[in-house]
This record gives sequence, structure tokens and C-alpha cells, in this order.
Amino acid sequence: MGKVPDRLKKFLWPAVFGLGFLLAWQLGGFHALLGFKPFQLPVPTEIVRTLAENMPKALGDCFVTVSGAIAGMLIGSSIGFAVAALATAFPAWGYGGLIVLSAFNAVPIVALSPIMNRWFPTGMGQKIGVVTVVTMAAMAINAYRGLSDLKPFSLDLMRSYAARKRTVFFSLRLPNCLPSVFTALKINITSAMIAAIVSEYFASSTSGLGFGIKDNLRKAEMAMGWAYITIASVAGIALFLVIAAIERRAIRWHPSQR
Amino acid sequence: MPVAERSRRLVVLVWLVAVIAAWELGAFLLADVFHDAMAASKLPFLHDIAATIAKNWPSLLEAAGVTFSKAAIGFGLGALFGYLLAVLMSVSRIAESIAFPYLIVSQMIPVLGLAPIIFTLVRDMNASRIVIAAYITFFPVAASTLSGFKSVDEEKRQLMRSYAATMPVLYLKLLVPFSVPYLFAGLKIAAPLSVTASILVDMLGSKNGIGVKLLYALYGGAKDIFWASVLTSAAMGVFSYLFIAQAEKVLVPWRKSLPSSAGGQSA
Repeated sequence: MGKVPDRLKKFLWPAVFGLGFLLAWQLGGFHALLGFKPFQLPVPTEIVRTLAENMPKALGDCFVTVSGAIAGMLIGSSIGFAVAALATAFPAWGYGGLIVLSAFNAVPIVALSPIMNRWFPTGMGQKIGVVTVVTMAAMAINAYRGLSDLKPFSLDLMRSYAARKRTVFFSLRLPNCLPSVFTALKINITSAMIAAIVSEYFASSTSGLGFGIKDNLRKAEMAMGWAYITIASVAGIALFLVIAAIERRAIRWHPSQR
Repeated sequence: MPVAERSRRLVVLVWLVAVIAAWELGAFLLADVFHDAMAASKLPFLHDIAATIAKNWPSLLEAAGVTFSKAAIGFGLGALFGYLLAVLMSVSRIAESIAFPYLIVSQMIPVLGLAPIIFTLVRDMNASRIVIAAYITFFPVAASTLSGFKSVDEEKRQLMRSYAATMPVLYLKLLVPFSVPYLFAGLKIAAPLSVTASILVDMLGSKNGIGVKLLYALYGGAKDIFWASVLTSAAMGVFSYLFIAQAEKVLVPWRKSLPSSAGGQSA
């Protein structure tokens, strides 16, 4: 029983802070402080009202972005994992390939989007292309670490069994890399959403959260822009939690989950 | 060790050459085998792009400088505030319990999506470049510095306590030096992100900067300038990362770089 108030406190502090923040926003505190006009920075109730009024459209746009992000993330993560597996099989040459691949991580999305615009005729293809490139490196690097950072002597043990390379891979390396793979997936789901939204800023398509944000801001529909940001954040958090939940089920044996 | 290092460098070099060769081959196939009418805009020859860069480097460098300097200012400010928040959170339990959940959530939401909104609020393009770069740097730096403070062994803290070390001494002699690799892990995630953010603001309606060049070339049809700008902005992202990695090597020679989970909110 003694623990309950502690836990409650842990929840209460951020909740009070969050409510205070929203209240200050609602009552015009930020407008007064930073000199914004009401039409520049809509208040929370107005954002919620706008969102409620336009829910079907916002959800449709959200679906477009999320499906592109997930498809791209799956393709990119698979490629990244394949590269990591190859690099584990051929360490001398594979590691250099990993370094080259990780350089892609530093290429700005804003530069990738227009390139993908030219390669893919549809907005969806462009989105998936950008997300694929953005998610490859994190998976490749993390999976490589998981596949090669084995417990001391475990490889020697497998050798003493005269285990074949295949057996070593499936019985030792694969289970060993699962935690790192999930780390990479959690990084990737956020990058995938960012990449999908930013790529929509520059796409020719007329759907998706990114297009919605840009289009509404251009039309000076600030509340609608904020509503889209809210949806995007909620979707991002939800996707992250889904991956975290799968992680909990998949690697229950790992110390990080206890 | 030096031998292994050298052969590793050689491997990377061979890979780079292979990538360049693959690019040239791809461009050749597209242009001369498949006779794609769009070949020059889809994948031009790398040497053509290099020639364009060589011809236009003063203007490219100037544009890149505008974007990069604002990104750097924002990056510095964001890192400073992120670090201060981490210190505050490690000093005060209440501050930690208030801010920690928001730090965690901030890593799940698409923060770059906010860029256009901040841009419409701030209006001034230089200010919004700095604000957005700072905003995006803030979270990873605060989160990873805090995890550095928290990873200090309890025995070391107890030793400091047994010396009756005051708060500032505790920080100066133990926590701050110990957490430097963690700080750099956060900085390495944030550096390419801040460059991306700055370029994004360029493209949202600035008057100069590499993003503006990119956008004009994209819609104006100057395809050689477009690819030159793309490569320049990619180089800016890579450079920002390498710069921080190099700074870490120089400033923290006593410790190997932290084996953090690479990637972060990818650029």
C-alpha cells in the first residue's frame, strides 16, 4: 500500500505540469508572453473542436501516411537486416559496407524526397522510397551489433559441438540479436513517421498528414494545421507503443524486460 | 592495431569506389541502354554532377554556409538548454518526474512535422531556422545526458560523499566528466537532424540557403544544379556528424566512444 502514493506522485507531477501548460495556452499566456495574435496560435479547445469536426478527413490522411511509413519501414528494416546478416557472414568486407550504408543516415530527408519524387510516379511510392532509405542504416548497425556481440565462449561452445554455420546463425546469433532488432525498430518507427510526413511536404500527391499540415498552413487554417500535428503525434506514440508491446512478448527472457 | 585500422580504412575505401562505380554504371544503363528520356534527372552521371559542383562551388558554398551556420547556432543553443535540463533533472527529483515523461514522449512524436508551424509563428526565417534546429537538438541531448548522469556507479557517488564533496564539486569532478560520452552520443544523433531542420526551413519559404537552391532547381528544371545541391546537403549532414565524432575523439581521448544504439531519429 505504501507504494501507491509514490506512484501517484510520479503521475501527478507531469499531469499537473501538462494541465498548467494547456491552461496557460488556453487563457492566452503564451500569446501575451510571445506577442502572438489569436489567429496565429489557436488555443487548445479550438484545435480539439476543429479536429472533431474534420475527423474523417484527418483519419483518412493519417491512414495514408501511416501505411506508407509502415511499408517503408518494413522494407528498409528488412534490407538493413539482410546487410547486417551478410556483414556477419563476411566480416572483413561486410563491416566496410556497413559504414558506407550508415552514411545514408546522415543524408537529409529533405534531399531524399525530391529524388524519390523523380524515381516514383506516385506519392505513395515516393513516400515508401524515402522511408526505406531512412530506416535501413539504424537496423543494419543495430542488428549487426546483436548478431556479432555474443556472450563470451558461446561461440566456442557451438564450435565444440561442431555446429554448422547455419546452426550457429539460427540457434545463437538470431536469438541474440532480437533485443537490438527491437531497439532499431523503435528508432525506425519514429524516423519512418517523420520521413513520411516530411516527404509529403514535397510530394505531388494531395493526401497524407504532411500535405494536410502544409496545405492548411498555406490557407492560414492554423487550427487545422495543429489538429494534424496532434493526430500525427498520437499516431507516432501509438505505433511506438505497439512495437514496445510486441517487444515485451517476443523477448520476455531478456533482462531489459524484467 | 594500426595494421587492422589501415586495412579497415582500405575496405571502406574500396566500398566507396564500388558505390561510385555502381552509380556511374546505373547512370550509363539508364541513359544509353534503356534510353530513359528522364535519365539526366533521375540519375545523372556522377562526374557530370562533380563538374557542376566544380563550376558553381562559390554559390553552393555560400548557400550551404547560410544554412549550416544557422543550424550550428541552433544546435549549440539546443545542446546547451538540453544539458541544463539534464543537470536540473539530476539535481531535483521533482524536475525529473515532471520532465522525464515528456522527454520520453518527445522521442516518439514526429517533431520535424512541427517545423512549418513554428515557421508560421516565428515568421523570421533566420530566427525560425535557429529555433527549429535548437528544438530538435534539445530532446536527444537532454535524454542521453541524463542517462549518463544516472549511469554513474553508486560506489563512486559514495566515495565523493565520503570526501564530503559539495554539489558543484560532485558535478565537476565526477558526473560531468563521466557523462561526456553520453552527451556526445546525443550530439551525434542531433547534429544531422539540426542540419535537416535548417534545410527544411529553407524549403518552406526562405530567401537564401541550400534548401532554396534545391527547391528552385526542382521546380525551375535546372537539373544539374538540383543534383549538385542534393549532394551538397548530403555532405553537410555527413560533415556535421563527422565533425562531432572528431570533436569527441579530441576532447575525450581517455574513453572509447560509447557503443550507443546508432541512428536515433534519423536525418
